Order: sequence, then C-alpha cells, then structure tokens
Amino acid sequence: MRIKTKETVVAWWMILPAIIVISVIAFFPLFKTFYDSFYEFGLRPDIQRKFVGVKNYIDLFKDERFIAALNNTVFFTIVSVALETVFGLIIALIVNQPFRFRGMVRAAMLIPWAIPTAISSQMWKWMFNDQGGIMTKLLETLHVIEPGVPVLGTPKTAMWAIITVDVWKTTPFMALLILAGLQLIPEELYEAARIDGANLWQRFTKITLPMLRSTIAVALIFRTLDALRVFDVVFIMTRGSVNTETLAVYNRVLLMDRAFTGSWFGYGSSLSVVIFILISIFAIIYIKSLKLKLD
Amino acid sequence: MRKVVLFALLLVLSVVAFSRVTITMTAGAVGKELEVLYAQLDRFMKANPDIKVSVMPMPNSSTERHDLYVTYLASGEKEPTVLMLDVIWPAEFAPYLEDLSADKSYFELDKFLPGTVKAATVGGKIVAIPWFTDAGLLYYRKDLLEKYGFKNPPKTWDELVKIAKTITAKEKNIVGFVWQGARYEGLVCDFMEYLISFGGDVLDDAGNVIINSPAAVKALQFMVDLIYKEKISPQAVTTYMEEEARRKFQNGEAVFMRNWPYAWSLLNNPKESKVAGKVGVAPLPAGPSGKSAATLGGWMLGINKNATEEEKAAAKKLVKFLTSYDEQLYKAINAGQNPTMMDVYKNPELKKAAPFMVELYGMFINAAPRPRTAKYSEISDVIQKYTHAALTQQMSPQKAIEEMAKELNKVLGK
Repeated sequence: MRIKTKETVVAWWMILPAIIVISVIAFFPLFKTFYDSFYEFGLRPDIQRKFVGVKNYIDLFKDERFIAALNNTVFFTIVSVALETVFGLIIALIVNQPFRFRGMVRAAMLIPWAIPTAISSQMWKWMFNDQGGIMTKLLETLHVIEPGVPVLGTPKTAMWAIITVDVWKTTPFMALLILAGLQLIPEELYEAARIDGANLWQRFTKITLPMLRSTIAVALIFRTLDALRVFDVVFIMTRGSVNTETLAVYNRVLLMDRAFTGSWFGYGSSLSVVIFILISIFAIIYIKSLKLKLD
Repeated sequence: MRKVVLFALLLVLSVVAFSRVTITMTAGAVGKELEVLYAQLDRFMKANPDIKVSVMPMPNSSTERHDLYVTYLASGEKEPTVLMLDVIWPAEFAPYLEDLSADKSYFELDKFLPGTVKAATVGGKIVAIPWFTDAGLLYYRKDLLEKYGFKNPPKTWDELVKIAKTITAKEKNIVGFVWQGARYEGLVCDFMEYLISFGGDVLDDAGNVIINSPAAVKALQFMVDLIYKEKISPQAVTTYMEEEARRKFQNGEAVFMRNWPYAWSLLNNPKESKVAGKVGVAPLPAGPSGKSAATLGGWMLGINKNATEEEKAAAKKLVKFLTSYDEQLYKAINAGQNPTMMDVYKNPELKKAAPFMVELYGMFINAAPRPRTAKYSEISDVIQKYTHAALTQQMSPQKAIEEMAKELNKVLGK
C-alpha cells in the first residue's frame, strides 16, 4: 500500500511538466477566451473594458452576417468531409493492394497534403483565374460554366471551388489514416471468410468497414475540427466574398479590421467560443454514433 | 607598446561595430517599388554607416498589411521601427505612432502637398510623413482610339462606354474597361470615384452618413451596368485587384483601365508589356454631376512609438532621407510613384520620364480623400460588402445602398 502511494506521487511528478505545458498552451487561452467573451472591449488603449454578461452571445445570434457564416461553415464542413472520407477510403483500398511502384504511389499521393495551404490556395486561385486559368478553361470546355463567368466571383460556383481545393488537399490525409487502419486488420479474418464463401462485397461490409470504424472516427474528428475553423483557403481564394464567408473569416474582420476601431474584441471572443462549442458537438456526435472508446 | 595600440584599435573597432543601430522598415512590392527601395537603402547605408536598415516585405494587399500592423502594434513590439502607412490609417494607428509635430521643419513639411500633410495629421498632431501620393487615373490605348477616329480620351462616363463599345465590336480578344472590383480596400477607392462624380458622398463634413441618395444608387447602378448591361467590363472584374487589371491591360486585352500611377512605367517597359508606347493617361471621366473625381491614395512613413530613443533617431534620419527631394524624384522616375513634395513636379527629368504626372498635377493635388475617421476600417468593410454584393448581383443597387446606409449609421453610432 505504501509503495503504491509512493508510486502515485512519483507518477504525478512525472506528468507534471506535461500538465503545465498543456495548461499554458491549451487551457489558459481557452479560459481567457471564455472570460473575454463576457466583456466589451477593444485593443485601443483608450477603450474601457466593460462587463456585459451574455450580451455578446445574444447579439451574435441576432447578427445576420454571423448566421450566414455559420451556415456556410456547416455546409462547407459536411460536404468537404463527406467527399474526403469517400475518396480517402477508395484511395486507401487501392494502395493497400500489392502492385508495382506501390511505394512510389503512396509517397506521391501525399504531395497535396505536404504543400502549405496558403501556397496551394494561391496556386488554385490562379488556376481558377479568368486570364488563362486552366480550371476556368476546363470548366468552360465541359460547359459547366458559361464563358466569361468568373468561378471565384460567382456565388453559385465560388464555394464549390473552395471545397474542391480542400478535398484535393486533405484526401491524402484521410487516405493515409485509413491505410494505416487497413493494415491493422488481420489477414486471417479474410481467409476464414473466403473459406466460408463470403464474396468481395460481404468481406468489405462485414470485415473491413467494422474493423475500420475507430480509425474512420478518429479521421472524421480530425477533419471536422479542421473544417469547422477553415480560414486560409477561403481568405486567399475569395476573402469571404460571394457568400463564402466562414466563421473564422468573419472573426478576422472582428479581431483584426476592428481591433483598434471599437469594442469588438469581446464579441469576437464570443464567436470563438461558439466555434469551440460547435466543434465539441460534432466530436460528441461522432464518439457516440461510432461507439468510439476513448479510454 | 605595439600591443597596447593594437588592443586600443581592436577596442575602437568593436565599439564601432556594436554601436551600429539596426532598424526595420516595412515595404510594399507593387510593381517596381521594392527594387527601387533596396537601391535607395544602399545609398542611405553608405551615407550613414552607423545605421543598418533591414526590410520587412509586406503583402501587396493593403487589408493584409493592416492585419500585420494590428498584431505588431497591439503587442507593443518595438519592431518594425518605420511603418509604411496607407493614407487611411493614421487616425486608427495614431496612439501607436511617434508624434512628429516638433520635427515639422526638420522634415520640411511646408514644402509638401497640403492634402497629404492633412491626411497625416490626427487631432492636430503629425504622426507620419507623406512618402508618395496616388490618385486614380484612366489609362487608355492611344493607338486604338486613334484608329477608330477618337481624338481625345473620354471626358464623361457615357463617352467611355460609347468608345469602348465601338472598339470592342471591331477588335478581337479585347474587353472595354477593367478596374478593381474584388472585395477589398481597392473597391472602396473605385466606388468613391463613381459616387463623387455622380454627385454623392459617404459622409458629410459633420460626419453624418449621407450615402442613401439617388446619386449613390445611380453610381452603383452604373458600375453594375458596365458589367451586365453595357458588357464592356468582364464579369471577372469582381475578382480583380490592381495587378490583375494591369496584367489584362498590359497584354493588350483591354481598351481602358482604371489604375494608380505606378502602372505607367510597367506598361511602357517593352520587355514585359505588349502595349509599350501605345498608352495614354487621362483624368477619370466625369459623371452626370459634371465633376470628375480621383480617390486620394498614397502611403506615408510613421515611426513606432515603442522603439528606443536611439532607434527613433535613426528612423527619423531614414524617413528624412526617403522623403527628400532627390529620393522622391528617383522614386517617381523609377517606380512611378508620385512625389509628395511640390517642387519635384517642376523637375524636367520627371517631365520626361512621366509626363502625365506633371500634366495632371492639378488633379493630384485635388484628389478626393476617403472618409476620415478612426473607424475607417469598419466603414470600409461595410462599403466593400454591399458594393460587391451589388456587383455580383446578389442585391439590387437600391437595396445595397439602403443596407449600406443602415449599417454605416450603426457603425458610427447614430
């Protein structure tokens, strides 16, 4: 018994540095944002800090621009994550099969993921450019858009262009995670199923998918969290114009454009808290519905 | 004895080496300006061996530069020492800038264009020194206008539409008119020009919102019509900033372009431009009010309040150097950025390199300022949002102006 207590003490000492680091870099900013969201203040030195309770949250849900940004963000998240999961799964299944140059293909597939988003977004912006942009030419040839219609300057097409870029960029990440999951499935299961006479489809739905469940859940959580705070692709490609403004892009307006002009910082903090709550809701839904065990 | 001398020499050398002040300055890279700045800084450091200047290149978009400045200044950093400030920022950033009122004669501010000095003055204090000034201009294809019998560039917007239609109907692969229609600060500049030339304005002298007027609706309607009714501007102008418009015009794919003076020297560089020698510059056309308006642009140099005294002294020297007669002339000739010092316009070399600067002097000194308030960023955001919504046909011009007025009143708390 005494030994056990001593061990516990040692264990606490050992994890203390980690706890401190996590508190400083994760819990402190989170707490500060919560705290700030109940105040009205700006960064200009002459602006007084004022406690306003939940006023920021009430105003937020009366703000049409916030509601529009919320809708855009949820739409972007659902569509892009769904597409990434489907494509990621297909690609993972393909590169899990033995074929020549498999190693090379697996490495090459990661290139879009390896390019910083700011750079790939700019690259795609040029491809969607009206002055000789290859995507614009392609879409015109395929009669998806009429000639002269700017993809990034039209409400109907701009969001889809942004989703395309996000799917292009993060499908490799999905594929990689799912590939790792596939390799954990013991070959014996398939062997036994084959002996029992299960066909390809049965083997996929009865063995592969159930065995991949926790891998897909983790991948979905990662991607959804990222997608809900999407900023770079949107800001670089359209700056939030033509109905593509997401929550994070709107928050930039509040925290940057208006940092010195008025008392917007608390309001921006409350928007950050809403993003945090939104992410938590998605995470809980995934964990419950995919029966993921966290401990 | 020799050892002592050697030691003393070493000591002196190291003191000299360590006493070198390092200051940082932010700079843009539109057209040739960064190249020109590097050449100027080389000269400055040769003349002042005790000062080292390092350059922080900034994004070309004014909105993104603004974000960076917010981060630097709010954190109380002493860097950057010298800040390149857009003409609309002094009011907002004033609490973070060194008060230069006492150095008025050191910088010879009485020799500067009064409009630019006014823009750098906040609540009676001078917080920046005007570096170069800008005004919206109309660039046109001299060769094409002559070919179709138009002797002069258009005096009114209607005339511009007529000429553009005539030429684009007969020439191939060319659009009529390109400008800055993306949702960013540049859109406000373009919008202000139509607005004022149609007889409207955003704020009156007392700071009341007066945007909700028939003139404003007509001005916005005209911008929308350029794209969808007259079809002389491509739909893609709603994604254009300065450089996108310049590239289109430079490739010979547009008859008219609204842009700033910097484009002149680039358009006339035969290595890169297909229209070198074929370009004319004129004031922007007048609207139904009979007035023509060019938005006042330009940049100033301010000094970070958080810098040390030593750095501030070095920074003042640098600002003085960059805004001096010779350097303004050099910048005007090589980067095509308009001088802020009046006498430079009388220089014969400038007249040879950029004749329009001298010819349009009257227009530059009368350029129309954007609303002058510490809440400018918020006002600009509202104008951008609704103007762009109208340009992309998400809202009628009438509705856009009404909503704009409503939101501007909210922003200004009236």
